[in-house]
Amino acid sequence: MASPSSIQSQIYRSLPEIERADAIVDRITKAIGLGLLKVGERLPPEAALSEMFGVGGATLREALGELRERGIVETRRGRSGGTFVLNQPRTQKDVIRDWFLSTSISEIRDIGDEHSAIAATTVRLACERAEAHDFERLQELARALILADTPEVRAPADSRFHIELAIAAQSPRLANAEIRLQEETVQQLWTPLTVAFDPEQATAEHLELVRAVAQDQPEKAQNLILEHIRRNIFHLIDQKLTLGYAQSNQDGQ
Amino acid sequence: MKPTVEVVHAASDLSSWMSGVCTEVKKLSSDVSSLLERNLAGKSKAGKAVLKGLDEYPRDFLTKNSYAAGAGTFFAVETIEEGVPALDWWARKEHGTIGRLDLDMTPGSSRYYDYEKLPFFSTAASTGEQSVWGPYVDFLGFEEYILTFAAPLSVHGRFTGVAACDIRIRDLEPLIMPTLRAIPGDAALVNASNRVILGNSGLYLVGERIKSDVPDQHRMALDVPHLGLSLIFAV
Repeated sequence: MASPSSIQSQIYRSLPEIERADAIVDRITKAIGLGLLKVGERLPPEAALSEMFGVGGATLREALGELRERGIVETRRGRSGGTFVLNQPRTQKDVIRDWFLSTSISEIRDIGDEHSAIAATTVRLACERAEAHDFERLQELARALILADTPEVRAPADSRFHIELAIAAQSPRLANAEIRLQEETVQQLWTPLTVAFDPEQATAEHLELVRAVAQDQPEKAQNLILEHIRRNIFHLIDQKLTLGYAQSNQDGQ
Repeated sequence: MKPTVEVVHAASDLSSWMSGVCTEVKKLSSDVSSLLERNLAGKSKAGKAVLKGLDEYPRDFLTKNSYAAGAGTFFAVETIEEGVPALDWWARKEHGTIGRLDLDMTPGSSRYYDYEKLPFFSTAASTGEQSVWGPYVDFLGFEEYILTFAAPLSVHGRFTGVAACDIRIRDLEPLIMPTLRAIPGDAALVNASNRVILGNSGLYLVGERIKSDVPDQHRMALDVPHLGLSLIFAV
C-alpha cells in the first residue's frame, strides 16, 4: 500500500487536470449545498459545461463521474436525458459521522495500536537522526496547530506535524505509514461532532515532544508520543460511544 | 593518523564524481541565466515570454546525466511575474520518459511546497555558492529519499533562484559503492552535518548521524568546494 512506488504513481497523476476536476466537483457540490442548484434540476449539456468551465471533455467527465459516485447527480440516457441533481451533497460532518457509526471500538483501538508501533520507532529514530534545522521546523509546525482557529485547519496542521516528525527520522517508509494513518483518522479527531478536541493540550504535547527529540531523550520522547496517541484514541472512542450508543445510554437510564 | 592509500584514492574518486555533478548543475544554472539575460531586455521580472525555451535545459540535463532523477529551476518569487510558475522541474518517469513535475505552489494549501524555506534553496540564496542537501525525504516534492545538488542562479549579478538536480539515494548507491568498497575497513561518505550518505558496511547506515568523537574514527575532507562532504573511516 504505502510502498514508494504507490507514492510515485500518486505524484505522476496529471495533477493540474485532477485539480480542475476536483474544482468542478467542489463548485457544483457547493452550489447544490447553497440551494443554487435544486434537486431534480438538469445541468447544462456536457459540451456546454466543458466550454463554460474551460476544461477538456475528459476532465469534465471525470468530475461528473465523481459526482455520480457520491450520489449527488445521475445521468439519464435518451431524449429527455442529461445529468440531473439527485441529492443534497453530504457534508464532511456526515461523512465523519458515518465513519464513527461504521467503525467498531476494536477497530479504533487497533488503529491506535498500529499508530503506537509506528510512532514509537519514529520518535526514537528522530532523536538519533534529526538536526537543528528539523527542531526549528517541528517547533514551527507545533505552533501552527494553536494558531489554527478552525477545525478545518487544525486537522492538516496536526497531521503535518506528525508527518514531518517521520521525515526528521529519515525514513520514507515510516513517513508513508504516518501519512496513511493521518489520512485515516485526523479528520475524525478534529471535526467537532460532540465534544471539540482541545488544540491547546495537543500543541503543548507536540512542543514537549520536540524538546525531547532536540535533547536526544528517546525514552522520554517515546513515552510522550505513546501517551499522545492514547489520548487521541480515547477521544475517538469517546466520540464513537456518544454517537453510536447514545440510544442505548438512554435505554439504560 | 594518515589516511591509507585506499582512502586517499577513494576520496579522490568521490571528489571528482561529486565535482562532475556540480559542474553539470553549474552549467544548467549558467544556461538558464544566459537565457534570462537574453530575454529579459531590461525588465526586472520574468514573464512567460522570457521563460520560453527554459525547459530545454533540464531536459537535456536529464538526457545527458543518467544518475539524476530530476532537474530544473526554482525561481525566487520576487523575480518572476505573478501567475508565472515559480518552478520548472523535470523528472524521469517510469519507462524512462522525461516529464514535468507539478507541485502545489499555493501558499496556505495543505500540500504547499514551500521551497524557498528548504535548505537547497535558502543555502544558495544566503551563501551564493553551490551546495548539496540530503539525504532527505522530499515530502510534497519528489516524495523520494534523495540528495539535491543546487547552484545559485543570478541574472546580471542579482540572485534569481537556483538550478538543481535530484539524485535518488538508491540510484546513487550502485554508483559510488564500488569506490567505498575498495576501502578495506569501515568507511562512509558523510555530509556537512555528519549524516551518512552512504557507508560501505552496516556500521555506517545511510541517514544516520555519526558522532564525531569516536576513537579510531578518522575523517578526510573531499576536495569539492562548499559541499562540506567528507570521508569517515575507521582504523
